[in-house]
Amino acid sequence: MITTNNLTKIYKDQTALDHLNLQVNAGEIYCLLGANGAGKTTTINLLLGFIEPTSGSAFINDLDVSQKAKETKKFLAYIPENLMLYPSLTAVENLDYFSGIAGKKLSKKNIFNFLKEAGLQEDAFEKRIATFSKGMRQKVGIAIALAKDAKVLLLDEPTSGLDPKASNEFGQLLHKLSQKGVATLMATHDLFRAKEVATRIGIMKDGQLKEEFIAKDISLLNLEQNYLNTMEYKEVTL
Amino acid sequence: MIRKTFIKESKELFRDGRIRIATIIVVLLIGVSIWISAQQYQNINEQYKVSKTAERAIWDNQGEKNPHSAAHYGTYAFKPKYPLSLVDQGVDKYAGSSIFLEAHKRNEAQFSIAADQTGLARFGDLTPDFMLLFIMPLLIILLGYNSFTKENEMGTLTLLKSQGISYKKWIFGKWAALFLPVFVLTVVLFLIAGFILSNLKDFGVFEWSSLLWMFIIYTTYYIIFINLILFISAKAKKSGISLVVSLSFWILACLAVPKAASNIAEDTHPYPTRQEFAANVLKDKKQGLDGHNPWSKEAKLLEKNVLAEHNVDSLHKLPFNFDAYRMQKGEEHEAEIYFKHYNHLKDQFIKQSRVYKRLATFSPYLPTRFMSMAIAHTDYATHWNFADAAENYRIATQKFLNDDFAKNSTYGNWGYQADSDFWKKLPAFEYSPTKLTTVLSENTANLSVLGCWFIGSFALLLFIKKIR
Repeated sequence: MITTNNLTKIYKDQTALDHLNLQVNAGEIYCLLGANGAGKTTTINLLLGFIEPTSGSAFINDLDVSQKAKETKKFLAYIPENLMLYPSLTAVENLDYFSGIAGKKLSKKNIFNFLKEAGLQEDAFEKRIATFSKGMRQKVGIAIALAKDAKVLLLDEPTSGLDPKASNEFGQLLHKLSQKGVATLMATHDLFRAKEVATRIGIMKDGQLKEEFIAKDISLLNLEQNYLNTMEYKEVTL
Repeated sequence: MIRKTFIKESKELFRDGRIRIATIIVVLLIGVSIWISAQQYQNINEQYKVSKTAERAIWDNQGEKNPHSAAHYGTYAFKPKYPLSLVDQGVDKYAGSSIFLEAHKRNEAQFSIAADQTGLARFGDLTPDFMLLFIMPLLIILLGYNSFTKENEMGTLTLLKSQGISYKKWIFGKWAALFLPVFVLTVVLFLIAGFILSNLKDFGVFEWSSLLWMFIIYTTYYIIFINLILFISAKAKKSGISLVVSLSFWILACLAVPKAASNIAEDTHPYPTRQEFAANVLKDKKQGLDGHNPWSKEAKLLEKNVLAEHNVDSLHKLPFNFDAYRMQKGEEHEAEIYFKHYNHLKDQFIKQSRVYKRLATFSPYLPTRFMSMAIAHTDYATHWNFADAAENYRIATQKFLNDDFAKNSTYGNWGYQADSDFWKKLPAFEYSPTKLTTVLSENTANLSVLGCWFIGSFALLLFIKKIR
């Protein structure tokens, strides 16, 4: 579903992504961990076709993103760190509009079902987004992905700033989507959430994928230790 | 996607309190301006009718009088107020509303509305054309300056891009959402104007086709503004920058370029001063026949030729009054001089108009303004037309009077008096403005420039490949 072959992005003399080889299959949730500037967001932006790679290639559903950027958009949904919707429109209106942009015609009943499936409480359906918390906006984002029937989900630090309950709910939603065969790539700083939801976990540093784990085969403690080792973190002794 | 974007944008615009308030204010101002204009139109039209009837009654009831005395006594040609001046008052306020018609002299139009006003008139009037030409584009700027920049600032652009948005459809959805309120407002305004005009008594030459053309011109003007404001918004990084650039364009197009055009036109093709003009006319007059001076070289030559033509040796033996005949010839000579000098003024006016038309390349305001005034019959061309018609009537009146004097009296008989019914035989002055088809054909240059702005601004929208 998601494939990168030696994907590289260089800005002037700064290598943001260095020969990344990645494969995320249908139903998998792949979490990319790494510090700021590790190349996680660059990877997502390259997969979205927002930026052009310096070399290498990225594929969504076997379509080359560089060559068929528009077609690849039909298969993917994207939720950024701060999902911004139209504040003066309601959740229903936002979902209707964004689905319409993707070429989906939804009945009101369908819109309600998607919002319900995404976990948004019913009394919020007809409320303006301006009154929504970040967690509620993320749920609308998931509803947009559900309505689009996306095969690929790209998430850029979606749980950052969410309270534990909202973060947990979000993780459950991702599981639901993976059970439907959606391939998810999630960039995050949240080791705990990554361990909770991921099928596989990769650790990035300086644009390179340094380590990769099967989530169920590693404990949270080991994951943290590996992460810190990769980041070359030295414990401060007082 | 166009429909979805149109609905979404319309909802956003409608729910934005600032936009609602601004639109209500504009609608109220337009309503007030139409009401004021309709009142003025009715007042002026009544004054026109009263003055015209009264002046004609004075002329008809002169009693027994020498025709040349009547020629010096004179009469007035009144400029009618045209119905569409309710929408665009043009230069009417400054151009004068009546011309005094007398023997030997072509007079300028006088009694302009501006001359009767105080210095406060310099602040301008609240008129429908002011609202249509200046305030409506401002409303368009207010509605559309952040049309695209807000998507970037709110962060929705990223999500839209990830949904695989089609830029063309998206742009035209936004275009339609901006166009619709402007279009509805313009339709309502013109329907109200048409309704008022149709219900005014003696609404004269009002034609719905003229109003429709005016509506088309203004709609085109607004479409140009909508296209340019959307283009600026698509290219600007921030809403603030977009607003400043849009307002700068408005200042340039609606204020700076028209004023610069006026200065450039006047500098390139200046009119003579009033003193120069009068001195040149006087100089030419002195070189020809003066109807009142029988001793001049020209008068003596005329006398000699007329005697030879009629094969008589004395002016007393002529079958007409030679004094009146000479006066008529003097009139004809003076009329030629006036035509020559006024034609020079008209040439300067045409050259200045060409300068304006060239500068219209820099401002859609100029061709719109000229077209609007031309259709409303409140432009300088109509004023020239009226002044020429009044002058032709003056010449015909002088001939009518001199011919009667010449035919019914003999040489030296200055005591002749026409009977009291004679004056009624002079046809009244009637002026019909240029027909709409002629107005349009005379303004093809303005229409073309407006058309180029229209096409060019759409081309700019079509060339948007990427939103920042």
